[in-house]
Amino acid sequence: MCGIAGLVGWNGQDDLADIATAMLTRIGHRGPDGLGAVIGDDWALGAVRLAILDIAAGQQPISDDSGRFWLAYNGEIYNYRELRAQLEASGAHFHTQCDTEVLLQAWIHWGEACLDRLNGGYAFALYDRLESRLILARDRFGKRPLFTARHGGALLFASEMKAFLAVPGFHFRQDAGQIASILGTWTPLPDQSGFTGIAQLPMGMWMSVDAQGMTQHSYAPLAFADGPAPADETEAKQMIRQTLTRAVDLRLRSDVEVGVYLSGGIDSAIVAALATDLNGRPPATFSVTFDDASLDESPEQQAVSAALGTRHQALRIAAADIVDACPQAVYHAEVPTFRSAFVPMFLLSRATQQAGIKVILSGEGADEAFLGYDLFKETLLRSTWTSMDEDTRRQRLGRLYPHLDHYGPQDIAALTGLYQQFASETMPGLFSHEIKFQNGRFSARLVKGAGDPFAAITALVAQHPELQAMSPVQKAQWLEYKTLLPGYLLSTQGDRAALAHGVENRCPFLDPAVLDLASSINLRFDDGFDEKRLLRQAFADRLPDCVVNKRKFPYRAPDAAAFAAAHPDYMDLLLSDSELAKLDYLDAGFAKRLCAKVLTKPASEISTKENQTFLFLLSLALLHHAFVARQELPGHGLQRPAPPLMRMVDLRSRA
Amino acid sequence: MDKIRAFIEDQFLVSFDEDFPEDTNLFKEGIMDSFGYVQLCRFLEREFAITFSEAEMTGNVLVSLSQIRDTVAAKVAALGKAG
Repeated sequence: MCGIAGLVGWNGQDDLADIATAMLTRIGHRGPDGLGAVIGDDWALGAVRLAILDIAAGQQPISDDSGRFWLAYNGEIYNYRELRAQLEASGAHFHTQCDTEVLLQAWIHWGEACLDRLNGGYAFALYDRLESRLILARDRFGKRPLFTARHGGALLFASEMKAFLAVPGFHFRQDAGQIASILGTWTPLPDQSGFTGIAQLPMGMWMSVDAQGMTQHSYAPLAFADGPAPADETEAKQMIRQTLTRAVDLRLRSDVEVGVYLSGGIDSAIVAALATDLNGRPPATFSVTFDDASLDESPEQQAVSAALGTRHQALRIAAADIVDACPQAVYHAEVPTFRSAFVPMFLLSRATQQAGIKVILSGEGADEAFLGYDLFKETLLRSTWTSMDEDTRRQRLGRLYPHLDHYGPQDIAALTGLYQQFASETMPGLFSHEIKFQNGRFSARLVKGAGDPFAAITALVAQHPELQAMSPVQKAQWLEYKTLLPGYLLSTQGDRAALAHGVENRCPFLDPAVLDLASSINLRFDDGFDEKRLLRQAFADRLPDCVVNKRKFPYRAPDAAAFAAAHPDYMDLLLSDSELAKLDYLDAGFAKRLCAKVLTKPASEISTKENQTFLFLLSLALLHHAFVARQELPGHGLQRPAPPLMRMVDLRSRA
Repeated sequence: MDKIRAFIEDQFLVSFDEDFPEDTNLFKEGIMDSFGYVQLCRFLEREFAITFSEAEMTGNVLVSLSQIRDTVAAKVAALGKAG
């Protein structure tokens, strides 16, 4: 795992080698084992490396024998051995055992057609010196990040935006329009960053940059096409076991030890069980636990660890720990965030690193593929609401929220009224998310004159006519794969939280074969209200009953109440009128009213939407402080040393 | 009945005035979220000793402050007659 950065079209006075080194040093946490760069006349690219495969020979950036192509690459291509065999059969020669070289040769042999063959999470930059052309590409689910920014005549790119802090003359500015959209839809859209002039390369896309301009292309549109359909439930469970075994096996390829993050849920338990079976010995496992029993899943974590015999390490998180680490974790996340649950994951990666583990597997992606979220059940219910009689509605509502203590049988009438209001589509293409986005409308009120916070996502779905042929639940999945998964779970709570401490996270449930299989099984053998039923049953005899039979339990951490109790100094960013005024796009009156309520009323009176909006407000203020104002954040103890310089290739023509 | 207004203003951080009249559809304006709606129903049932039926709730009764007031007043009056 690594971080990459670079630029093309540079005509400034500053030395390109210095700029590239400074950019890479800013993201040195992603690759503490070494820094390398190649410098051309008006371009540069490089990587910081976390050595996982072929540790001695895998330095970056690398080039082909002719020196025409230079590649800086972040991520893992899990099927690199199979691709290498195919390339060798076509005459390619290899100098290393690294997947980096396989990617380089794959591009040389197959061009952009290579992208669809790659199974993994990656982002890369490849410079073609013959054509003076830069290629940037990103994996199909948005596992690994890649940001671009225009700066004068140059185009900057980096795994994390903080690399741009090192570019002379570059300034960050928060973008009110994007922020309204982020608050409305809960996360950045695939191309959004929250800052003016900075874009993400969306998942499943590549771009080409040369003197003629910039073009962007999609290579892996998200689809829920039915794969080979199993004949019955027995065969379905068999296929689930086979496909996941293969997905975990591919992700155990590493020259360093691979651990597992155990959440307490079924998905990560399955991953841990398969890792144990495939390795022939139990892995090291890591978990967060909470003082607050309503959030804590230690009994299930311990049950899985005991059943498999893993070497387990639990990190107990108090509310004060979240408050202490929040500014640093937000700095790593770089985008506004709607909840605090990424902060414990930021702290867990530090504990994982201290335990000597560089690679972990997790259960991320299972709920999207196998319909684990309540959202999917809500969509099923709402899409057939008007055709159901009262008894059926009552029975379905009762099955909807078995885990949520804030809804109960006494609320059936209220929920009926609610669903009645949301029984037909009023936001084109967004039916499944209309209830969820009501919380977002509340958050978007933070932005003065926000306009329509859903204009951007409405435009996004309109650009995808393939959605029209999808069922309401598939549309809901599509939106989850484009919003919450890449915009929070894989990024703020995933890649950024793990790589902050040089830990690479791998997700077997994001294997394309797993999604294809799930798409062929979902709703075929049941009505979907017993979420992930076949997935759970497929591993019922391998895992403790308390985990197999546990219903979906959303991973949460203490939210606004933690900040109300601890009242850290940095809350002045919100509570001082002059500090708050620096965020000139905010509706200061609404922000103050929100803070007054959230920080004084008992936690039981603070609703989800208020918690969510408070976390957005706090993260916006911290991001402004760190990126726009370039002020120090609390938490200096978390600073890490720059990676050692391993390679500097100077290709500049001398006058 | 001003308790209802106060509850909504506090729960949803809004202020009813000329720009935000009491007959505003709270769902369409994005004021009402799912948790808040359930809280509102619980509040009304507790405060006015009334119970909503599922059939009533499919009639779009609780969408604006003025509608909520009318509905609650009618239910309270019906209770009085029955008692």
